[in-house]
Formats: sequence, C-alpha cells, structure tokens
Amino acid sequence: MTESVTTQRREFRLPDVGEGLTEADIVSWRVKPGDTVTVNQIIVDIETAKAIVELPSPYAGVVADLLVAEGQTVDVGTPIIAVDVPAPAGSGPATAPPRAGSPAPAPADPDRTDPAAIAAAGPRPSSEDLIPQVPPTEERQAVLVGYGVKAAATTRRQRKAPAGAGSVADPGISPGRANGVAGVHASVLAKPPVRKLARELGVDLGGLAGTGPGGSITRDDVQQAAEGLILQVAAAPAGLREERIPIRGIRKHTAAAVTESARAPHVTEFLQVDVDATVEAVRRLRELPEFAGVRVSPLVLVARALLIAVARHPMINSTWDEDAQEIVVRHYVNLGIAAATDRGLIVPTIKGAHGLGLPELARALASLAETARAGKASPADLSGGTITITNVGVFGVDAGTPIITPPEAAILAFGQIKDAPWVVDGQLAVRKVTTLSLSFDHRIVDGDLGSAVLRDIGAMLHDPTVMLAWG
Amino acid sequence: MTVDADGAVAAPRGSGGLDRPPGPRTETIQLLTPEGERVEHPDYPLELTDGEVKDLYRDLVLVRRIDTEAIALQRQGELGIWASLLGQEAAQVGSGRALGPRDMAFPTYREHGVAWCRGLDPIRLLELFRGVSHGGWDPAAYRFHLYTIVIGAQTLHATGYAMGIQRDGAVGEDGEAVIVYFGDGATSQGDVNEAFIWASVFNAPVVFFCQNNQWAISEPLERQSRIPLYQRASGFGFPGVRVDGNDVLACLAVTRKAMQAAREGQGPTLIEAFTYRMGAHTTTDDPTRYRLASELEAWKLKDPIERVKAYLVRTGAAGASFLEEVDAEADELGSRVRQACLEMPDPQPLAIFENVYAEPHTLLDTEREQYAAYLDSFTGEEVR
Amino acid sequence: MTVMTLSKALNAGLRKALEDDPRVLVMGEDVGKLGGVFRVTDGLQKDFGETRVVDTPLAESAIIGTAIGLALRGYRPVCEIQLDGFVFPAFDQIVSQLAKMRLRSLGHVTMPVTIRIPCGGGIGAVEHHSESPEALFAHTAGLRVVACANSTDAYAMIQQSIRCDDPVIFFEPKRRYWDKAEVDPAAGLGAALPMDRARIVLDGTDVTLLCYGPMVRTCVESAVAARAEGRSIEVIDLRSLSPLDLETICGSVRHTGRCVVAHEAPVTGGLGAEIAARITQECFYQLESPVLRVGGFSTPYPPSRLEDHYLPDLDRVLDAVDRTFTV
Repeated sequence: MTESVTTQRREFRLPDVGEGLTEADIVSWRVKPGDTVTVNQIIVDIETAKAIVELPSPYAGVVADLLVAEGQTVDVGTPIIAVDVPAPAGSGPATAPPRAGSPAPAPADPDRTDPAAIAAAGPRPSSEDLIPQVPPTEERQAVLVGYGVKAAATTRRQRKAPAGAGSVADPGISPGRANGVAGVHASVLAKPPVRKLARELGVDLGGLAGTGPGGSITRDDVQQAAEGLILQVAAAPAGLREERIPIRGIRKHTAAAVTESARAPHVTEFLQVDVDATVEAVRRLRELPEFAGVRVSPLVLVARALLIAVARHPMINSTWDEDAQEIVVRHYVNLGIAAATDRGLIVPTIKGAHGLGLPELARALASLAETARAGKASPADLSGGTITITNVGVFGVDAGTPIITPPEAAILAFGQIKDAPWVVDGQLAVRKVTTLSLSFDHRIVDGDLGSAVLRDIGAMLHDPTVMLAWG
Repeated sequence: MTVDADGAVAAPRGSGGLDRPPGPRTETIQLLTPEGERVEHPDYPLELTDGEVKDLYRDLVLVRRIDTEAIALQRQGELGIWASLLGQEAAQVGSGRALGPRDMAFPTYREHGVAWCRGLDPIRLLELFRGVSHGGWDPAAYRFHLYTIVIGAQTLHATGYAMGIQRDGAVGEDGEAVIVYFGDGATSQGDVNEAFIWASVFNAPVVFFCQNNQWAISEPLERQSRIPLYQRASGFGFPGVRVDGNDVLACLAVTRKAMQAAREGQGPTLIEAFTYRMGAHTTTDDPTRYRLASELEAWKLKDPIERVKAYLVRTGAAGASFLEEVDAEADELGSRVRQACLEMPDPQPLAIFENVYAEPHTLLDTEREQYAAYLDSFTGEEVR
Repeated sequence: MTVMTLSKALNAGLRKALEDDPRVLVMGEDVGKLGGVFRVTDGLQKDFGETRVVDTPLAESAIIGTAIGLALRGYRPVCEIQLDGFVFPAFDQIVSQLAKMRLRSLGHVTMPVTIRIPCGGGIGAVEHHSESPEALFAHTAGLRVVACANSTDAYAMIQQSIRCDDPVIFFEPKRRYWDKAEVDPAAGLGAALPMDRARIVLDGTDVTLLCYGPMVRTCVESAVAARAEGRSIEVIDLRSLSPLDLETICGSVRHTGRCVVAHEAPVTGGLGAEIAARITQECFYQLESPVLRVGGFSTPYPPSRLEDHYLPDLDRVLDAVDRTFTV
C-alpha cells in the first residue's frame, strides 16, 4: 500500500549574505527543476562585487522552479527558487512567517508576476525625488556587519487614543501638586507664553478656568478675559430675566483691590473751590510754546497742586506696613491717575511725578491717558503708585467718596467744573466751581492732616500763584 | 618581508612558516605530522590511548560540523553573522581538552571548539549571532566566559581572574588556572600587552593562548609583529612556545604543560598556536580580495582533521564504521543546531530593560513602565 | 563624633569596608606604600597587606580590566584612578566591558566594582589634573555615578558604593579633600541617606540651586551671601548623578519656581543640560523662568593662572540666580 505524499511549495529568497550588497547576479545554477536537493546542498553561485558566494539550500525536497535566470541581477529578498518539500500532516501556511532577520517581501522588479509578492509590496512613494528608493517594510539594507539596515516604515501604526490625551510615551507633563505656598506658580496651569500675555493684558490668571488640556489656561482664555469685561451689558434679549457675567479679569482684579482697600478705615472730606483762576491759567498755559502739542487741562494743575501738597505734608504719601509694624513715608511720588476703560477701572501711574516740570507733567498725563485708552498699560505702569487722583467730573458728578488705591494712604477726587452761584465780596456772582474730595487712611492720617492737605490744594486751585510760592 | 617600489609590503614566499628552516630560536612543537605520522618531542611526552585519539577525532569533526552548519544558516538569513573557526579546530580542541574541570577559559568570539569542550551546548552560541542576546550563558557554570568582541579586552579579565585565584589560595598542584584566547591581531592591542605585564609581575596563573591564524581580517601577520609572536613573551619575562596549531596532539600536550605550570605557581606562558584561518574573518568578509588562492591550497594540505584520520586508519585504531558513525553523528548534530536556530524565539520587547542593574533603578523602572504603556496604546498587532 | 578632612573620611570608610568584607580589595597606582597621592589610602596596606591593597603597574585600562576579572572571581575591587584626566585609557574597559557585562550575561554576572576618581579643578595644577568627566559616565547605561561633597557623606557613600552590586563611578572633589566636617564612625549605614538620593543642604523659597562635588561648598557660600540681599536660595547637593533623584529636585523646583544648576564641567553637553531638560518636562507649569546653568566654558580646562575665570565662583552663581528673576 502506498501513501500519497503531500508537498508544499517553499520559496528561498535571496538573503543578505552580509557582503554589503543590496543585489547580486545569478552566476550559475547547480540544480534544475526535478532535481532532488538536500539541506545545505549548494544550489547556486551568486556574484557579489567580484566575489562568488555559494548559497546552500535551506530545504530538502524536489526543485519545482528556478525563479530567476543565470545572468539576471536580483535584489535581496527576491525569491530565486521554489522547492516542493514534504508537507507534515496538518501543515501550516505555505510560506514561513516573517521573522526578525529573515528577508521578507516584494521585489523591486515591476515585471514580477508573482501575485503574493506584488500583494506584499509596500506603498510606492508619491514624490520619488524626495524619498530614497528603498525596499519596502521589513526589507533590510545589507551592510558589512550583521543583518543590515532595516528600511523604516513610511506609515504610522494605529493608536487606540490620540497621542497627547494621557500619552505616556514620554514622561508626562505633570501639573504638580498645589502645596499651599501662595505663589502663583504653585497653582496656575499656564504655559510661560500664556502667562506673559496675561501680565501684559493685566489679566489675573488665578481666577480663570482654563479650557486647555488638563485644565490649563490657553491664550484664548486670556484674550477673552481681557476683552470680556465690558461694564455695559448689551440690551437683554427678549424674555431673559437674568444675565450672568463671569467674574474675571480686570473686574475681578478691581473687586479684589477695593475689597482689600476696605480694610483701611476711610475718612472722606470735601471742599468746594472757586477755580476761575485755574480755568484762566489753563487757557493761558495752552498759548505758551512749552505746551504746544500737549493737551492741557485743569487735571494738570490739580495734579501739580496735589504734588505740592504732598511735599508740604509728606505723611499723606505713605503706606501702612502691617508685617513690619511700620508706616513707610515715601519721599517720591508715583502719581496714579484712575482711568475708566472699556475693560474696567485701571490706575496707571506716572513714576517720579514729583520731579516733573509742568510741561513734562502735562505730557505724562496725556500719554498715560492715551495708553490706558488703548489698553496698552504694562504691569509696571499699573503698579508702584504712592497716591492717586480720580477725575469723577468726567462722569458729570460733583463729588464722591473715592476708595483708596491699596496700599496708598490717600486719594483725591475732583468733580466737574461748572458755573455756580458764589459769594464774592459779599455779593452774589457766578463762578466756576468744583468740589474736591479727599479720602484718607485714618490709621495714618488724622483729620487735621487730611484737612490741611485738602485746604492747601483748594488754596492753590483758587489762586494758582500760590503754587509759585509753595512749589 | 620585502617592500617594493610602490611601498607595498609583501609577505615572504612560503609564509606557511612550517616550511621555513628553523632559525636559531625558532621552534614549532609538533607531535603529529600533516600526513598523520606520530613524532616525539623530548619536552612534551604524550601517551594517549586509541580511544582518546578517537575522542579527539570525534571532537574535531563535530566542531567543524557546527561551524559549517552555522555558515549555511547565515547564508540562508537565519543568523546575522558567523565567525568561522574553519582550520583552527585542532588548536581549540587540543587546548580545550587540556583544561582541568575547575580551570577557567576566556574566549574571543571564535572559540566554538573550546565552548564544545567546556560542555556549552552549541545552540547557546547561536543567540549572539542571531541577535537574540549578547551571549547570555553563565560563565561560572561552564567555566567559560562570555564572548568578548572588543579585541584583546578579555586578556585583562583573565589576568584579574587569575589574580583572584591567587587570593583564594587556589594555586598549587591541585589548583586552578586560567587560559585566555586571542588572535595574532590582538597582540598589538594595548590591553593584551598590559595583561602580559600584570601576569608577569604578579606571577598570575594564566596561560595566554594565541591562535595565530595569520590574518586579522585583511591585515597579515607581518603588520602585527617583526618577530615570531611567541618570542614576545621573553620581552615581558615569561616563557613563550610555538606549537603547530593544526596538530591536536601537540596543542593538547603543550597546553597541558603550560596549564600545570600556571596551576603550580610558575606564572604565565604564551602559547602561539601556528594555524590558518581557512575561512573568512566572518561571513561578511571576502578574503579573495586580499589573499592568494595558492596560500589556501597550501594550507589545505595541513588540514587538522585529515591528519588524525590518516593516523587512525594507518594504525588500525579506527575503521570505516567508526568514521561513518562520526559522520552520522555530525549530520545529526548539524540538524539539531539548524532546528534549534529556526525555532529560537525572539526576546519580548520589555526584555530591553532587564538585567541592566543588579539593584533597583528608579529611572529605568519608570522608562520600562512608560514603554509598556506606549506599546499597549496600539490597536493592531505588533509588526516588528 | 570626630572632625575629619574629606580625605580622612574616605580613608576611614575604606578601612571599614576592608574590615567588614574580606572580599574587598583596593587597587591602583601608588595606593599601597605611598598611601595614595592624596593620602586617601594611607595606612591601609600596612594593616591589610599587599594582597588586599595592591600597588598596580602604570596601566589604567588594566586596573579596570583586571578588576573585572577579580569581580568575576567573586571579589569586590575598589579601583583608584589617580586623577580625572587619566581615566580615559580605562574608558573602554569601563564603558564596553564593566557597564555591559551584566546585560551580556543576562544577569548571571555581577560587577560590584567601585572606581574612585579625584575630580575637579581649583588646585592650581597642570593639564589633566582638573577635569570633570562625570557626564560621559552618566551617559553610559549600566553604570551608577555618585559624587560626595563633604566628609560626612564621603564616609557613608564610599561604603555604600562598595556594597552596591552594580559598578559605581565615585567622584571625589579633590580641592575639598582638606575640608573638615563631623563624621560619626559609629553610625551604621542603615541610617545614612541612600546612595541614589539628593540632599537639601539649605532650605530656601526663592530659587533652587542644584550642585554636586566641589561646587556644593561654593553654592552654600553663595546662598549665605544672598541672604543679606533678601534672597532665599534652596541649595541641593545632588550626590547621585546617575540616576538623578528627580523626586527631590522637582519637589524643590515646584516650590520655588526657579532653578540654577552649577557644575565645574563645561555647560555644553554637561549634566546640567540633562537636569534642565528633565525639570522643564516635569515642572513646566511651575517655572517662572527657564532653568539656567552655570559652569565651565566650551574650552579645554585652562592653565591655572586663568582657572579662576573658568570655574564658577560665588559671583557667577549669584549672577545666574539674578538672571532667573529678570527673565
């Protein structure tokens, strides 16, 4: 009884023989179809750059087909011979699975008609000039030592989740624990460029909810916070009973500042002043060449009067240092000018105002107003003030009870200048009248000092020539 | 050595060495001629039974078969590279069989014949050449150190090990000794010369076994030394001897004597086994670019296995059936090696992080975790 | 408690190691009779003999190569490379053999070799006596690299290195060999800070100053000087250069938000670069300014008349600290 022997066809692909070759010439076949071959029997001579290498057969069986002809140049990885080997019962696939080091698929020869080889061919590069012609994935470039250089994949493998969403290929960006230290860096998730932007726009990061990965604050979040705090609320859409505006940015900052300031016991005193002479002086100053191109307003003289009053009563220009238990009297003035912008109230300062001559003071005020309006006040501009003026007159009111800019000791508000009935030399007259309101920190400034300062300012605005005597 | 008009250095004719008339101090120990005739040497008496010679023959044939199978596997893409010992079987088996069970051997990367003698399964050698590990066996278990690829570096390791034997008080008639293998090219390396110095000044129990196979890749012996290599030892103050590296009996006798001298505290010996690298440096090398075919032909006449076969047949110690048995065993061994190679599993990816440090390492542990998570983040099968 | 110089503390630590384990060997050029060119091994050969304290031939590669062989035989060699600039002939044995032997053997082989190297400048020496090659070794996987900065740490760390089953490159700050500090020879190693941890030497809140070896004293002096200016600097002695103690480092930077790394080695490609990259990766959101490094220039170590310009001193360290506030 004869057993029928089933066979399977195995192909031997031209291996990387480590001669630094990527191809070889078939010099001479030592076998032909129909021959029986044993393992390691030399089946072919190949030529690699002037050396002839004998290739031993990896299979034992019967030669089915010589797949390349003598004289042909073939790439490493090209099947060169097919051998029918006895198939064990329940044999597996016809070709051995690819293994690290065993050369795998596709020939570069486009005339190859072997369907398996063509199917296994990798993607053709679209821009032939840019991508070097290398054998497709799994192929190795032969080099002097070892298996040779493996051609890299040209497409990505599919990931379960997009990289970056909890990606752990690289050590993650860990936000770090908040640790109770009051520094911003301990608890704010914002990248340095975003923080820089926030500083420039005067946005407080501490209050922002970030919309970026991991709750981090993005540039857009900062931009929105800076722009989003317009005090006027647009006309309510029909049917809306309430509107909720997030407390952010400058609004939040202002709220924090005035809340803190409320800790200082405020006293406000008022003085009405006949400022005809000031108005006239302003008109005269405008004509002088020193003030050409500069906007001169009563604010200039009010500022000047305040500066002179500070020089006469330095205590009004101080700060309460709770930690050190000291009152710090500043012998310089960084004059804050409260400005209403469409983002909210900000108080930019003129540094060293005490040392400025009148024209320079005027210029500084004008430039400051410009900067504030344009929203370009820098953090440095917005800090370091020692005393503040607020012009409530622009709002069309006479007086107010201004809140001190912390950590200063006083703030001067002046209202609109309007024609009002006044008693001059016992007779009724019409005069330009304004009201000065001075709020001061009663921990530092008592009523006599506060009143003295207010009186002095009033005196100078009533008769500007007094500034010449006192300044 | 001659230098022609172009400055090219030419080896003298008949650089086979054994044909050169011996100079005043040049002697090569030989106990079995290429034709298989037994000769005696007064300094190296050797009594072997027929059985012992047949065992040596078997060793030589099996070692050669491992080698030829591995070359074929490389040509079939199953190994990345192989360093063939073809032609050097006698030097390795002769010296390998001279070692006592507690002696320690330090190889280069070509001593598959010594590995065989030390009981290391040849399959274990394949891992390195296939790229599965950098070696991986336990040197202490086989008294056979891992393969060292940096040329000559192992001579220092061997010398240090020998200094350890001294400190263990294991020098004596019943003691332990070290043998370290290296090639002719290695004798130019600084490390080898430093090892000669240390072994001599500390009188360490180490035998330096140089397989002078005439070639360091494409550089001939003349590029490494102006004098016969075994004479280098005298410069360092210890004995050197040249042995016919294709003569398994001479290699056995000379190595035995040197090892015993080392064991007993007489210090190092340099043995130069004068042999020939019949194959290429490795499977990536093409010797036809720098060697003459005639040289190869001349050395074929000195084949180490043929002379033993001739001796066995001539003396009647072995007949055709023994020879056939050995060949059959060789075929079976070749087949086993082949099978093991084809079935060898690749290491798992996370094995990269293992066996680097003996103690816990925070950074490496973190890297391992992260890479594991990264691998886990792919949907499909791992292609590589 | 005894006050000891750093050199004496190392000597005491080596002595203890030799006493505790008969397999410990000390080997190097001039370590025996002379007691070492810095006297670190003074007296050891007399007490432990020539077999355990070995005066070697003048061959650095062989010092390490034979140590590897001795380790294979079960010994615990402590090699001395006489000076930093002379480690390079041994570089191949360290990097190609010592660092890789364990992996090569798939864990069968252990290499408990310690290599002591006096390093750093500031001693007015000629070429090759003032090098800081630590980055080369920190970059070599398979090695551990440590640097002691004071007597107290030196005494414990040399013993820990010797006991460690991995190869350890042990850097000793040669210009601090004569600095004194308290050492408690009776204290066991159990209480000592582990070899792979950094130590916060001075607490601070404004900026983290990372340093190791010879620069630790300079940085402590800088921090003390800065206090007068109202600056609070947290000084950390890294101690372990490979692996780095990222937990301590990042924990500090997350508090202060600012960091300066100071080392004698050239800044370019130095260990500070690795540290800065790690901190930036781990503490990005807490950083107020980039991590700055202060160290040697991209030149070979200069002749001694110029070395004060090369080595970072108190002013250069504090200049870097200042710059973390002005960015």
